[in-house]
Amino acid sequence: MNWHLLSLSFAMVFVSELGDKSQLAAIALGGSTRSMRAVFLGTAVALLLASFLGVILGGSAAQVLPTRWVKAIAAIGFAVMGVRLLLSARESDLPET
Amino acid sequence: MESTTNPASLSYSAEATLTKAPVVQATAVLDPALHLEACAEALEQSLKRSAQCPAGFPDACPDAPSDAMVREISNDSIGFKAELQIFLSTFFTIFLAEVGDKTQLTVLLMSAESQSPWVVFLGAGAALISTSLFGVLLGRWLSTQLSPKTLETSAGLLLLGISLMLGWEFFNSLA
Repeated sequence: MNWHLLSLSFAMVFVSELGDKSQLAAIALGGSTRSMRAVFLGTAVALLLASFLGVILGGSAAQVLPTRWVKAIAAIGFAVMGVRLLLSARESDLPET
Repeated sequence: MESTTNPASLSYSAEATLTKAPVVQATAVLDPALHLEACAEALEQSLKRSAQCPAGFPDACPDAPSDAMVREISNDSIGFKAELQIFLSTFFTIFLAEVGDKTQLTVLLMSAESQSPWVVFLGAGAALISTSLFGVLLGRWLSTQLSPKTLETSAGLLLLGISLMLGWEFFNSLA
């Protein structure tokens, strides 16, 4: 086992991921969800799969996946979740009927 | 007298079971009038409960009397279906956001340059699991410090901010 390479890749990914949007999303979703476990598993599996694809596809990843449109879909997904939370926050403000 | 063959009582029983209303007493089944009364009461209770459902989680309605109450109870009480839904929505948005992101590119480059891509994957995977665990735990800790309303508002704004970041990348890549 190449421990040097292992620790180097750990450190590089750890630093580049700190404060990145997926960690921010994990903070936002982890605090407001009813199942912390599901959010953690969803985040971890998504990140693992993304880096797994990076390893498998190598340089051809950019050609296989239309990154631009994938990002647009992700943007819509985050917007929907954000609006949902804002609506839910506003709802809890209303007096009970 | 076989009151269970009465179509009206059958449909009421089904309704009560579906909405997880309190089970109608077995003794009441013997008396149709009592049975109907008990069923109407159960139905009324379940309707009252579904009126309190939190917005945004329609599928979990019978299980979710109110957000504040659910926070008090452990994770296991929200039901597998609701949990799976949270897992899938988290998974797909994070995965789509992360494809082509700098972390994936780092892993891609490092594994291409080194002779042992699986060691890179192992290191990167461990890093990704720990950062997401930190993120979720930080969010959990914040949820104990802030009021539910403040928390939901700031989490919603944060997600909208991430959405704008992704949208910005999208429009930049068009140019």
